Amino acid sequence: VSAQSSRVLREERRERLDAALAESGLDALVVAGDPWRSDYLRYALDVTPLEGRAFAIVERGAPPRLMVDSPAEAARFARERPDAAVSWSRSAIADAERAIRELGARRAALAPLAAVPYRLAAGPLGATLAEGTALLDRLMLLKSPREIEAVRKAAALADEGYRVFREAARAGRAEYELVAEVESFFRSRGCPENFQILGSGGREVRGMHPPGDRRLQAGDLVTTELTPCVDGYYAQICRTLVIGPATDAQRRAFAVYDDALAAGVAALKPGAAAGDVARAENAVFRREGLGDYVTSEYTRVRGHGLGLYVDARPMLLEDVALVLRPDMTLIVHPNTYHPEVGYFVHGDTVRVSADGCEVMTRTARELFEVSA
Amino acid sequence: MRRGLIAWSRDEVPAAALDARVAKLQAAMRAEGLDAVLVYTSFPRPAAVAWLTHFVPYWNDGLLAVFPDGAPVLLASFSKRVHPWIREVSHVGEVRAAPDLGQAAAALLGERRAARVGVVELDALPWRIAAPLAGAGLVDASALYLRARHPADAVEIALAERATGIAKRALAAAAEGARLASHALAAAEKCARLEGAEDVIARLAPDLREDATPMRMEGDAPLGARWALELTVSYKGTTVRVARSFASGALPASWQEAEAWFRRTLALSAMAEGAPGRIASYRVDVPLGTAPLDLWDADGPETSVPLEHGTLVVLSVSLALKDGPWLAAAPALISRRALG
Repeated sequence: VSAQSSRVLREERRERLDAALAESGLDALVVAGDPWRSDYLRYALDVTPLEGRAFAIVERGAPPRLMVDSPAEAARFARERPDAAVSWSRSAIADAERAIRELGARRAALAPLAAVPYRLAAGPLGATLAEGTALLDRLMLLKSPREIEAVRKAAALADEGYRVFREAARAGRAEYELVAEVESFFRSRGCPENFQILGSGGREVRGMHPPGDRRLQAGDLVTTELTPCVDGYYAQICRTLVIGPATDAQRRAFAVYDDALAAGVAALKPGAAAGDVARAENAVFRREGLGDYVTSEYTRVRGHGLGLYVDARPMLLEDVALVLRPDMTLIVHPNTYHPEVGYFVHGDTVRVSADGCEVMTRTARELFEVSA
Repeated sequence: MRRGLIAWSRDEVPAAALDARVAKLQAAMRAEGLDAVLVYTSFPRPAAVAWLTHFVPYWNDGLLAVFPDGAPVLLASFSKRVHPWIREVSHVGEVRAAPDLGQAAAALLGERRAARVGVVELDALPWRIAAPLAGAGLVDASALYLRARHPADAVEIALAERATGIAKRALAAAAEGARLASHALAAAEKCARLEGAEDVIARLAPDLREDATPMRMEGDAPLGARWALELTVSYKGTTVRVARSFASGALPASWQEAEAWFRRTLALSAMAEGAPGRIASYRVDVPLGTAPLDLWDADGPETSVPLEHGTLVVLSVSLALKDGPWLAAAPALISRRALG
């Protein structure tokens, strides 16, 4: 991870954004963000808030402006982006509102729908929210070679993180202790963010959640998805392990998820719809008489995009018609409840290639057994 | 986006304490004639709903609807599969699945015939939620919430003490033999999370002689002979910030004076006389609304929000000393005492 690669990515994104603004006939984009939805801000200005709200104004041919509501964040951003005019006040929203008024007759749009507050959307740029969001969504969907390289590095880091997780998983350890090991490992590798949830237990487990104080027991299935980032770009891995030897039922269940993951990966190619990938995964469950478990009662999505956000477009669901194109990055994960063994996860990060897909995840697709 | 332990300890946060907080808000609502108050919660803005219910989201978002009587209703954009977990870790009445929070809130307010509805931080409510509520007669309820929110009760003080202890031990762990920023951050992270921290946010100034701005470390940097680390630690919905400056070898004399001055300042709840150098910057953060900590006072625009004695605050200062920059942060109770 280097400041140099981050700077190159910043310049590349800014060029793409300027071109998109010109093509859309826009003079400026007003971009909102916070520590959760920092992806649009990161794309537009290469900043990632740790607290509070932030609003960037990116104008063609002008230095960027950034308004925040924390003096500590303002000082940090000013150092990270010496080319930007950074300011803070008690209400960054009020500052952004003033700045929007000052844009006058210049043609501007507001983004993203996920982070824009009521007061700004109720103002003069409210009608542009869909346009501004769509502009950035289009840019973020297809990755450049450098962006793909960042995702590839993040996938390698996720592989290493899963090894740490596996080594930490032992009977008697609490869920939060496993996550402490993984988070510490990521910090030791210079990775500032990781989204991770997990589950442990048996048939009673219906999903994943942040770590609790439950202690692992022999026979538990332990699921996790962990999602580190490199230069702001996330990759994800989903795997399931058993504390002690796997039962026959757990092995049978694993075979279904492994087939579904393989089917999803095989269906992932340029020209296919996102829904085709979901259908390919779900067909395996239906073939096995598990069709009920691919509905929204038991699962959320069959995968999703990855990039500057952990849960980006497109969602892999049967009714999503978005057509896949080379250089989209996603995770395919047929995660869902299994009636015999409980919630089960299995997923790899992939890139759509010219004629199929590149699987970036290197961790073996197996049901790992760790000593009890 | 890095949640650690999320668990509801009934010993540390009794249901009765949460009920008392809700009752305090409800009394304020009745006094102002509000039929409902909506409180938003999300990953970066969990504080108000956590204070009322102990619910801290790790994903998605929610709206807590508080009515003048009865238990609050949580509208959660999580799938129904997550509802048992929500009930396990929090103290709410009904939990409703609400993929579209705005529409679900509009329906609930209609059912309860709520005509005058307050929203904590109305201006900041995400537009996708506010749009379906635009005709619901919304008013800002931030000031009303703030009156109910402070001063800190015994539960919050105990949680803040625990969070402060976690942060101090994590800072001590960070200093042990660290040569790189990544070493320090990894040690701090592990220590804090193994002690049950719900979240840890770190800013680090790797070389105070070069620059005293605490940074978000993406990548790595060597630690200079003098460096500083600021940790914002959340523990069961209560957040504090603690920062320490580190020096290799003997502590500079001016740093020892600075630490004594900082302790006096925390005890006084005012800048003590005799700072051993120039106060380069300061800020006071308080949980004012939905964020874990909001800016209350700083060397900038004047604050207009009065705080009661006993309110939990965090003071962060940067001093320009003859030995170079020195940073510190710690929580305190206004006009009462320092914590930890």
